[in-house]
Amino acid sequence: MSELYAPPTRESGLKAQVQRFGGYLSGMVMPNIAAFIAWGLITAVFFEHGWWPNERFAALIDPMSHVLLPVLIGYTGGRMVHAQRGAVVGAVATMGLVVGSPSPMFFGAMIVGPLAAWALKYVDGLTENRIRSGFEMLVENFSAGIVGAFAALFGALAVGPVMRIFTDALGEGVRFLVQHHLLPFAAVLIEPAKVLFLNNAVNHGVLGPLGIAESSEAGKSVLFMLETNPGPGFGILLAYLLFGPRSLRPSVPAAMAIQFLGGIHEIYFPYVLMKPSMVLAAISGGAAGIVTFMATGAGLVATPSPGSIFAYLAETPRGGYFGVLAGVAVAAGVSFLIGSLLLGVGRLTRDDLSRSEGEL
Amino acid sequence: MTSIHGGNIRKVVVACDAGMGSSVMLASQLRRELRGAPVIVEHHSIATIPDDADVVLCQLGLAGRARAGAPGSVVVGFRMFLGDPAVARVVAAVKQGGVVFGTPGS
Repeated sequence: MSELYAPPTRESGLKAQVQRFGGYLSGMVMPNIAAFIAWGLITAVFFEHGWWPNERFAALIDPMSHVLLPVLIGYTGGRMVHAQRGAVVGAVATMGLVVGSPSPMFFGAMIVGPLAAWALKYVDGLTENRIRSGFEMLVENFSAGIVGAFAALFGALAVGPVMRIFTDALGEGVRFLVQHHLLPFAAVLIEPAKVLFLNNAVNHGVLGPLGIAESSEAGKSVLFMLETNPGPGFGILLAYLLFGPRSLRPSVPAAMAIQFLGGIHEIYFPYVLMKPSMVLAAISGGAAGIVTFMATGAGLVATPSPGSIFAYLAETPRGGYFGVLAGVAVAAGVSFLIGSLLLGVGRLTRDDLSRSEGEL
Repeated sequence: MTSIHGGNIRKVVVACDAGMGSSVMLASQLRRELRGAPVIVEHHSIATIPDDADVVLCQLGLAGRARAGAPGSVVVGFRMFLGDPAVARVVAAVKQGGVVFGTPGS
């Protein structure tokens, strides 16, 4: 039997657990990215300092960020737990958080959406096979309706106030980092996490929701650019193109186009993983980019997803191009310099390559 | 499962963390390379790999999660997103026959 030869699934690893948890968070956000982009475009154009200020269209901005986006997250979170019925009660439960909240309740939506769906799943388990024939629709509609109504009340009374404190504390923490010029050190955590395939978890699970809260007040946020900056990856690939192992060089130009223009950053992660010290190039490039963003007061209106230079240009607020482009260029330059030094300008690479071929 | 014969492969799933970025890219490349072969190529997030996937392709960093989530599939990990020999071996097995071996657990 082939099962006998199957290797034991050793999935107690911390990395896999963090990846999985991060996958839940980003999995609630990423299917809804188009709505975030629509909101970002409307904000960039019709905001009072936008390209074409328009009060009537600007009226969309607050309801979209405060109601539509959290409800979509709660809906998707519910769907992950209990399909369409879970999605519906997840959306209803999120409304309980949304009403009367001064800031967008993304983290709260990530909790109550799946929780309400789980409650309905439990109730559905109780009623399963006990409904008299002909009463299925009545029972199913009302059980979901009642669970949804209670979940919304629970969200408004209990989860909302707690999450407001939590979100405010996180926002204060970010403000503290910004005021004390500590934000560039975030790269020390973000860049290694990124190449371990936690990129979506970091960006969509944590930084994006915080960024929207800031952006819906200030019209832009630097938090969207901490993980998504295409500069560091581009610099690393450029270093590989010029100084990497010869056998790898032919595929690098295509990787550069996919990473920088297409925004699929995953393509450069293997180049860092095959020579782990290259993460120093990513960290220094990322940190230099953040320093530049902060010095120029740069920010984007919404999450640039995927992290392509085109997404950056589309979501740069009016008059903000210099800082955004400077931060990307500085990050690429610094990563390229450090990366080239680490690659030993053509030396010291044969060992790494033969080892990586040995593993394949 | 640890291996499958190329002729028995009906569905190849490319998986990545979100199922929206790199997996879509690689799946469209594979679809082009396998045009004409009786194989379906799909892309999914690593958490939602369908049960009827014969072969799952994903980056080595995600292979552990793929194995846990798709115990009935042969999980092949690759290193590079472009021009990786592990991906080429799957393509060759589908087209010309041969056995695809799953990447052993880490």
